[in-house]
Amino acid sequence: MSAPLTHSRSRVFAALISDTFQEARARWLFWGLFGLSSLLIAIFLFVLRIDIVQGAVSFMGIEATARPIYNIRKFVNVSYSWVSIVLYIWGTFLAVFASAGLIPSVLEAGRISLLLSKPLTRTTLLMGRYAGNLAVVALNHIYLICSIWIIIGLKTGIWEPRFLLAIPISLFIFAVLLCVVVLIGVLSESAALSVMVAVALMLISTILAQRDVVVKLLDSQWSRDLWLAFYWIIPKIYDFGVAMKDIILYNRGTDWLTPAWTSALFGITVLSGAIYIFKRRDF
Amino acid sequence: MKADYAIETAALEKIYRSRFRGREVTAVSNLTLRVPPGVKFGLLGPNGAGKTTFVKMLLSAVNPTSGAAAIFGRDTRDPEARRPVGYLPENHRFPTYLTGSGLLEFYAALSGLEEPRRRKRSAELLDLVGLKDWGDVRIKKYSKGMLQRLGLAQALMHKPRLLVLDEPTDGVDPVGRRDIRQILNHLTDTGVTVFINSHLLSEVESFCEYVAILNKGRLALEGKISSLVAGRGYRIAAYALPPEAFDEIRHTGASILPGVNTVEFQVSSREAANEVIDRIRASGGLIESVAASSSSLEDVFIKTTSSERAA
Repeated sequence: MSAPLTHSRSRVFAALISDTFQEARARWLFWGLFGLSSLLIAIFLFVLRIDIVQGAVSFMGIEATARPIYNIRKFVNVSYSWVSIVLYIWGTFLAVFASAGLIPSVLEAGRISLLLSKPLTRTTLLMGRYAGNLAVVALNHIYLICSIWIIIGLKTGIWEPRFLLAIPISLFIFAVLLCVVVLIGVLSESAALSVMVAVALMLISTILAQRDVVVKLLDSQWSRDLWLAFYWIIPKIYDFGVAMKDIILYNRGTDWLTPAWTSALFGITVLSGAIYIFKRRDF
Repeated sequence: MKADYAIETAALEKIYRSRFRGREVTAVSNLTLRVPPGVKFGLLGPNGAGKTTFVKMLLSAVNPTSGAAAIFGRDTRDPEARRPVGYLPENHRFPTYLTGSGLLEFYAALSGLEEPRRRKRSAELLDLVGLKDWGDVRIKKYSKGMLQRLGLAQALMHKPRLLVLDEPTDGVDPVGRRDIRQILNHLTDTGVTVFINSHLLSEVESFCEYVAILNKGRLALEGKISSLVAGRGYRIAAYALPPEAFDEIRHTGASILPGVNTVEFQVSSREAANEVIDRIRASGGLIESVAASSSSLEDVFIKTTSSERAA
């Protein structure tokens, strides 16, 4: 591949990412995400200003407030892990809502035909949009999670770097869900339907993850197999949340590799399907 | 396919199939067309003739069912084939969050233009299309005519060798139309091929050198406009002509265009014109006017599409 052509392709990709940013800003999605994240940070700041650390330690049964706190690190780790779960759910939901409209908008008649007349492949166009969406959400996740980390760190003097794992983990799950948003967007050009399907997947994943309990309750082998098959196909959003909490809380290696590769496989398959359909569509 | 033509298609076909009902609609059928480089080419056709589908197939927005298309000899399925093309779509929807210059720079970046050249070119073109003071204004504040001019500037950003314009003067006032024509004339002087898809026959007639007429997805007529409209003749208007004279005059081969108080006869030769005049006078009618005429592109268009319709 010649160098000028590679440069040209990277320029195209950068332009598509930048355009997604501009659109997210113009549609107030960017500011909405940051506004809501700032609100959560403000609430967190306010809660910590009340100086409830000691009280919460007592409440959680870790240590009585009357005596000096010797297990403050344990308390902070518990806080970190639960806060990471809240941020994981909050961030993923918000990100799905914010990004759902950014794929259908580019498919509008009169806009897509001009984009397709440019010397770029349809795969580049879709992937540029995907990467732009991911970048918008990544910035927000970094802002939100780092802010909370700094607040907890300043308040307690305990800086737990494992908490920052919430950024790549949340972003990974969002990247998988974004594949679904892209597919539904390409198929239906409906932002609302994209949100519905992505949120439904989050809920289904939570239900399917209770497989240890459910498999015992199901009486036939085929229904157990069906449950497990669905469990392995659908991205493991719930399992990831639990794995993240465990890593932050106990610093122990939970099995996050299996949920990771199965979810990634799901995302790649769905995104490949979206690209295939997008390539074959007439606009 | 050779690079001798700006646009070349061979048996190009597009059939839209309904996903569930299995119904088929042929939008473009067996279309073979060659557009030489450096010419001003007009594509005409009634509504639903397949003009827009044809243009979209050239630019890969629509996938052909069969056949082939090439731009300067390069298969249109190859994205590189679109690099020398500037395109202004019909009913374009530009992102309203961009400013005029932002829009030009964005689309130029997609054409692979590096940043310093984008900035310079965007300023030049905003000036050229009369939007010099509007570069920093968001395009949601632009009028339709301004958007059309901005669209033309967008199509010219990367100095294309082929310009494909879908209804380029739609929504533009007469002065703006003249300005656009001047810009396009200047471009063809520099060797750029201009391909216009328009329903405005007068615009195509006054600007283009070549024309193709599509009807029901098929190429109905193609050629140099000067040859197509070469059929000259005479137009004679008569007043107070008795009805029984009509049949007699029709035998001369004249076509009749009845009016409210007058009747017009169109004939192709000087001899036939004199014969018609003699018969009008013999029947007691009065000559209102006699004029030499040439068939317009509109006549050619109507004749072509109506004969196809009859067939």
